[in-house]
Amino acid sequence: MPGRHTGLLFALPALFVLALLVAYPIVYTVILSVTDLGGSFNGTENFRNVLAARATPRAFQNTLWWVGGSIVFQVVLGTATAILLNRDFFGRSTVRAIAVIPWVVPGIVAATTWAWMFHTEFGIINYMLTGPGIIDEPVGWLTGRHTVMPAMIAINVWKLFPFVAIMVLAGLQSIPKDLYEAARMDGATFWDEVRYITLPQVRPVIVAVTLLLVIWALNHITTIYAITRGGPANLTLITPIQIFRLGFESFQFNEAAALSVMFFMVAMVIVALYIRFLASEGEIGR
Amino acid sequence: MAKIKTLAMLAAGVSCLALASGAASAGEVTWWSPNFNVERAEELKVKFEAANPDITLNIESTTTNGLPQRILTTLRSGSAPDLIDAQHPWVTGYAQNDLVLPLDDVIEDRDDYNKAAIDYVTYEGKLWGVPYRIEALAVLCNRGHFEEAGLDPENPPATWAEFLDAAQKLTHDGRSGFAITGGGEVGNTIFRSVPFIWENGGELVSADGKTAEVNGEKAVEAIKYWTDMYTEYGVSPASTLENDGTANRRLFIAEKVSCYQSGQFDIGSIQKENPAIDILPIMTPHPEGGNPSAILGGWSWVIPSSAKNPDDAKTLIKWLAQPENMGFYTDTFPARVSAMDLPRFDEPILKVFGEMLPYGRPLPNHPRWVQIAQAYFDGVQRILIGEQDVQASMDDAASDIQRLLDQ
Repeated sequence: MPGRHTGLLFALPALFVLALLVAYPIVYTVILSVTDLGGSFNGTENFRNVLAARATPRAFQNTLWWVGGSIVFQVVLGTATAILLNRDFFGRSTVRAIAVIPWVVPGIVAATTWAWMFHTEFGIINYMLTGPGIIDEPVGWLTGRHTVMPAMIAINVWKLFPFVAIMVLAGLQSIPKDLYEAARMDGATFWDEVRYITLPQVRPVIVAVTLLLVIWALNHITTIYAITRGGPANLTLITPIQIFRLGFESFQFNEAAALSVMFFMVAMVIVALYIRFLASEGEIGR
Repeated sequence: MAKIKTLAMLAAGVSCLALASGAASAGEVTWWSPNFNVERAEELKVKFEAANPDITLNIESTTTNGLPQRILTTLRSGSAPDLIDAQHPWVTGYAQNDLVLPLDDVIEDRDDYNKAAIDYVTYEGKLWGVPYRIEALAVLCNRGHFEEAGLDPENPPATWAEFLDAAQKLTHDGRSGFAITGGGEVGNTIFRSVPFIWENGGELVSADGKTAEVNGEKAVEAIKYWTDMYTEYGVSPASTLENDGTANRRLFIAEKVSCYQSGQFDIGSIQKENPAIDILPIMTPHPEGGNPSAILGGWSWVIPSSAKNPDDAKTLIKWLAQPENMGFYTDTFPARVSAMDLPRFDEPILKVFGEMLPYGRPLPNHPRWVQIAQAYFDGVQRILIGEQDVQASMDDAASDIQRLLDQ
C-alpha cells in the first residue's frame, strides 16, 4: 500500500512544525512549573505556593461563575435571536447585519467603552438612570460586591451572543421547510414548532458552539483585565488573569507556569466530561 | 552617455549610503524614553551627538500605560534596546532576574545623589540603575474652594484632625473634599496610603524584611484614617474604587474634587485644561506632633543585559547624568542634589514638593514586592467595598504578606 505511507510522508513536515508549535510551549511550561528561578528542579514547591495563596480558590470560584453565567446567557440569547432572525420580516438583512456588530468590535475597544458606560461618576448608564429619577444615587456597577461580576458577564454575553446567533441561524436554514409545513397541517403553534422541530434540529450546532464558548470563556482575559484588572478585592479575579498577574506583573514565571499546568488539567477535565456526556447522548459522531 | 553618468553617480551614492549606515549601526544607541520626556530627549540628542560624533542616538518613545509589561517582554526577548527609562521600584526586579547590567562603573559622585533613590536601585551591594528623576507626592487643593468654605489658604491644615475637618467643610453640593484612590494600578494606592502608615509609626513589613506588620496598631489606625475618607465620612467621591491618580486629576479639573494627592507632574495639565483653578499645594497631613511622609518616586536609566551596544549606552548615561543635562531632562526634580540649583526648580508652586523630598523613603526592597503590594492593595479594597473592617482585612493581608515573606 504505497498510498498510505506516501500520504504520511507528505504530511510529515507539517506535523513536525505543528508539534513544535504546540508541544514546545506545553513542555516548556511544564518544565518551568517544576523548577525555580535558577532553573533547578524544586518538585512541587511552586504548586504548593500557588495553592496556599488566598487568591487561588477565589479565582477558581470566580472562574466557574464567569464561565457558567456567560455560557447560559450567550446560548439562550443567541438561540432566541437566531430564531427571530430566521422569520420573514421587512428589513431582516439590516437587522442581521446590526446584530453581529458586538462580535465584530475588537475586544479591547468594547471593554474600554463599557468601562466608561458603567463608570459611577461619568457613565451613561448611571446618567440615564438618575436623570428620570429611576434611582436616587449613582450605582457603583464596577465596584459593588454584587454588581461587578454580573456586569462583566453581561459584557461578555453582549460580545459573543451574535456568534451563537449566526451559527444557530446557519443551522436553522438547513432545516427542511416541509417539516414545518407538516407540523402546521397538524395544528402546531409557533412554540410547538420551536420545541419539537427547531431545537432538536439545531441541537448539534448548539452543542458544538457551547464547547467553543466554554473554551473561550476559560481562556478569557481581555474584558475583565481591561476594566477591573481582577479587582476590586479580587471580586472579578479569574484564573487566567491570576496567571497573567503572577507571570507578567510579579515576575513569578515558575509559579505562573504551575498554575497554568493545574488550570490546563482542570480545563481538560471539564471539556472531556462535556464531550463524554454528549457522546453518551449520541450527539457527537453523528 | 548621460545615462551612464547618472547610473554611475547613483551607484556611488548607494555605496556611500551603505557605508554610512554600516558605520552608524556600529555606534548606534537605541534609547527608550517615556513620551513626556521625548521632546527634551530630542534636544539632548543634538547636543550629545555633537559632543560624541561617533555615536548615533535612536530615540523611541514609550507610554506609561502597560510600560512594565513592555519592558519586561523586551528584556526577556533578548533583543532589548541599549538604554531604558524605568521607574525606581521596577529596577530590583530586573536585577534579581539578571536582566540589566550593574552600573557601578558608570555613576560619578555617588554622594551627590539622593540617598533614598540610590537605595532603591541597589541590590546585593551593586547599583543596577542610575536615578535621574525623584519626586514625592503632596496634596493639591483648589484655593478657590478653600476660600468658599471659609478656610485659610495661607494657613492650610497640617494635622490629620485639621485636614479631616477641612475635607468635611469642602464636601458639599456634589463636590468631594478629598479624593483617595481605590482603583487603577496597585502603585496608585500604595503611593498615597503607605505614607500615612509611616507617619503614624507603622510599617508594612519589618526593617529586616522578615515580618508583616501591616496589621499592627499604628498601621491599622493610619489605614482607618485614610479609608474612612470614603467609607465613614464620604469626603471621597462615589467613584473612589474606580479612581487612580489620573481619574482624580480629571475630577479636580472638573472641580468635583477640592483636594487630592499628587505630584508636580499634574500641575501643567491642570493649568492647561482649567486655567481658572488656582492650585494650592499643601504638605501631606501628619498625626499630631508627627512629621509628613512620602514614598520617593521617580525614574532611573537601566542598560539591559542583552543590549547590543552597552559601552556607548554607558557613555550616554555618563553624559546625561551631568547635573545640567539631568536637570534639563527630568519632568519633576533631579536625583542629583547639585542639579537642584538650576533656576527651573525655583518656582513658588514647586516649593511644597521640594519640602516633601527630605521626607521621601524608598519602598521595601523584596523579591516578592509586587505580590506584597498586591496583597496590601486587595486588603485596602476589601475595606473600601465594605467586605471587612480595617483590622480584619489587614489581619488577612498580613497573613498573605507573611506567607510571601516566608517563601
